[in-house]
Amino acid sequence: MTLLSVKGVGISFGGVQALKDVSLELNRGEILGLIGPNGAGKTTLFNCISGVLAPNGGAISFEEQPLNGVAPHQRAQLGIARTFQNLQLWGTMTVLENCMTPQDALRKRNILADAIRFPTAIRAEKVATERARAVLHALDLLHYSDHLAKDLSVGIQRRVEIARALCMRPKLILLDEPASGLDADETLELAALLVRVRDRFKVSMLLVDHDMSLVMRACDHIYVLDFGQLIASGRPEQVRDDPKVISAYLGEESSKPAPKKPGRKPATVKPAAESAPGKPVPEALLLEVSGLYAGYGGIEVIRDININVGFGEVVACIGANGAGKTTTLRAISGVIKPTAGKVLLDGADISRRPPEQIVRHGMVHIPQGRGLFPKLTVEETFDLSFYSGAANPDLEIAFNAFPVLKDRRRQLVGTLSGGQQQMVAMARALLVKPKLLLVDEMSQGLAPNVVQDLFERIEVFKEEGIAVLLVEQFVDSALAVADRAYVFEQGTVAHEAPADVLRQDQAVIASSYLGTASEGDVVAAATVQNGSPKVPQMMEDLSLRLPAEIKRALEERAVKEGRKTHELVLEILGSTAEREVAKK
Amino acid sequence: MIDNRIFRNALGLGALALFALVPVVLHTDLEFTTAFALALVFGLGVLSVVVLTGYAGQVSLCQATFMGISAFATGALVSHGVNYFIAAIGGTLVAFFLGVAVGIPALRLRGILLAVVTIGVAISFDYFFFQDVAFSWFNGGLGGWTVDEAHLFGLTLSSIDADHVRQIYWMILAVFFLITLLVVNLHDSGSGRRFRAIRDSELAAATMGVDLTRYKLLAFGLSAAIAGVGGSFYPLLVGKITNGPFNFVISLQLAAIAVLMGIRFIPGAFLGGLFVSVIPRVLPHLQDFLTTVLHRPIEIKNVWFNLVLGALLVLQMILYPDGVWGDLAGKVRHGILHAFPGAGKTAVGKPTKVVTT
Repeated sequence: MTLLSVKGVGISFGGVQALKDVSLELNRGEILGLIGPNGAGKTTLFNCISGVLAPNGGAISFEEQPLNGVAPHQRAQLGIARTFQNLQLWGTMTVLENCMTPQDALRKRNILADAIRFPTAIRAEKVATERARAVLHALDLLHYSDHLAKDLSVGIQRRVEIARALCMRPKLILLDEPASGLDADETLELAALLVRVRDRFKVSMLLVDHDMSLVMRACDHIYVLDFGQLIASGRPEQVRDDPKVISAYLGEESSKPAPKKPGRKPATVKPAAESAPGKPVPEALLLEVSGLYAGYGGIEVIRDININVGFGEVVACIGANGAGKTTTLRAISGVIKPTAGKVLLDGADISRRPPEQIVRHGMVHIPQGRGLFPKLTVEETFDLSFYSGAANPDLEIAFNAFPVLKDRRRQLVGTLSGGQQQMVAMARALLVKPKLLLVDEMSQGLAPNVVQDLFERIEVFKEEGIAVLLVEQFVDSALAVADRAYVFEQGTVAHEAPADVLRQDQAVIASSYLGTASEGDVVAAATVQNGSPKVPQMMEDLSLRLPAEIKRALEERAVKEGRKTHELVLEILGSTAEREVAKK
Repeated sequence: MIDNRIFRNALGLGALALFALVPVVLHTDLEFTTAFALALVFGLGVLSVVVLTGYAGQVSLCQATFMGISAFATGALVSHGVNYFIAAIGGTLVAFFLGVAVGIPALRLRGILLAVVTIGVAISFDYFFFQDVAFSWFNGGLGGWTVDEAHLFGLTLSSIDADHVRQIYWMILAVFFLITLLVVNLHDSGSGRRFRAIRDSELAAATMGVDLTRYKLLAFGLSAAIAGVGGSFYPLLVGKITNGPFNFVISLQLAAIAVLMGIRFIPGAFLGGLFVSVIPRVLPHLQDFLTTVLHRPIEIKNVWFNLVLGALLVLQMILYPDGVWGDLAGKVRHGILHAFPGAGKTAVGKPTKVVTT
């Protein structure tokens, strides 16, 4: 029995087709999953269904009733509730009040009767309280009922959001990334909770999430979106094994791997926790980060980060999306305040200093997206840097490093190409005469040859004695210039190794993207890979696009089939590639 | 929430008794009785900010305009021979509808933009409807409207001497408490929760079924009506109504004082009213007192009031972001709960999270 049906929905923003002819059906009592890589259009479709966006074409209907032009609060009255990815509880109200409000809103309560506490108002109050308490009890939240919502942890807030939605007595709950900000255990609990809630309250659910472990466990049926189109649908195990889905996550097109440097002596890679005494950490340390914790709005993103950078050393941070690389850089440079831990720069403790002071200590952060002012000219941008501690206004430093900018000194930064903008950002950083550059996703959105140029600049910096801490998606290129690398996994440093070791034993990288590997596992994977000429190329692919969800799905399958995860990936990738060839 | 309710009721009754006795115990003269009565009038103005901004989260810098339009409408109706109290109800209704009208831009605007729109409303009413001769049918021309006396159930109220004003004072006090009671009930009811839901997250409120249009307009209307009740007493209390007391600077003061005293808390409205009407009247006496004590002429200008207000506001924002009452109440309650440890537990045995009205 169809509860919600989406037929041929399309929407475009400024000429970009975000959704194209998407159709799906949700049956009564079903938990439906909607997954896809970043930018696939999941959230857009979600917003179309919840009424935040109006699609350009197609029809969405709920219980045979078209939803076009129905305001969000009317959708709620029809029986569609939702939760929010960035929690939207009413923070200054108690948990109980949070759960009572949706019921008040659905009943036509009279404001006058409320003000004089008319018997009808008192009765309505009692009914709402009872319902709210019953739901809170069912979700094991009753002892939080008098707490203010804003004081609760993220995990509890997620549950309260579900409770609040349930209090509306909805027929359908739309869940927007309910697992974000939860750790692995909490995610498993959530999956069990969703199934329990569905059985007990007889609601249907539409679940959008990145987290495959949640989707696989909770959902009855899954739709997969990529580039705004549905590419697959089916039961969880069907979707998980669908090569189309996996290749959508892994990405079919790829950039060229960087030329390899002449190989040095291979060494063994150890997990960071048990780092061997002979590891190549330079003696004089410029940056020492120990036990660093940080996050956003109470959500802890990085845990116990320990990183060192020597004078004039280039260090790369690599790892999957959301592993905490960018957050680490931001916590080091003071853009966000670390909750615990120490950052020593050249011996001075800078961990609680404001970012503008940290710059004066000789550390410059070039943020993801470059942090430029589009309405300033190149020259004005450089002039600004003198406020942040550059001693004498010698623009020649910048123009020597990036001659191409000299001709464009009067041009507005916003009108430059992406690569030139990145050069401006790097040149601006140079003017402060830094000892250490933190470079976040330098290659983002740039063409491969431009990226190559920029990496060559990093080499020049190194020769000039400037240390660089790189966060990079192009793993191979980054490892080509770096001396050492830290591999990030789930908010902490999982491995640390000399760059060329990593380049040769890329199984370690693969394992960081595919799951925490034991040492034996790494060796086994390395053996498998050594036989395959496609490996470096694939590693670049993996590092670019492989998100946590597919990784977990693959892991699960590997466990089920009693094989190594890496073998499985290589097999799937290999077979997709072969099919491509066969097609041509 | 039992302990909370007891605390609140005790506080309310205590304040009622205290305020009722003030003019008797102090045996205040005409000036100070009027000042205390005006404290209640402007207290209603601050209360209207508490409801609109503190509860529903909508910014407004034209609350004095709502008071003013009600005062002028009352004055105009009285001078056409309407009974004062019927005129006052009329004035309140006018304020309510103006409030709803001002609420219309709030359906689209938020924060600073809404503040700008409402200040525009305040200025245009101040300069045109409240003083331009073209609107003398409404503002009574240069002299404004004069109100000599009002009759209610055989009782005659007027502003001629302290005893008469004391009666008006008690009457306003009763009205103030009635409105406070209604507002408290509202805060804890379904309607109040909807207002607060809009304040905390409009997005969530809409998707959980709250009709934003309806409740935002209601919040504006209700708040304007509360301000209007306050304004409607003004002509009777002072004997006349001219433009001065409700100019747009007063609107800013009301908002500033509500923030200073604690914008989410009703007692803040009391303190705010006292602050805005009594302090300026105490200042000259303080001047006399200091001159006598120090044996040299000390000058305290009324302009200093705004200076002090501004300075306090800056200090409060840094030290007590929840307002004087917000932080005071927290401390008092904390003290009481410590003195009687049993009082702070709810049935489940967890410490209560305090929600104050």
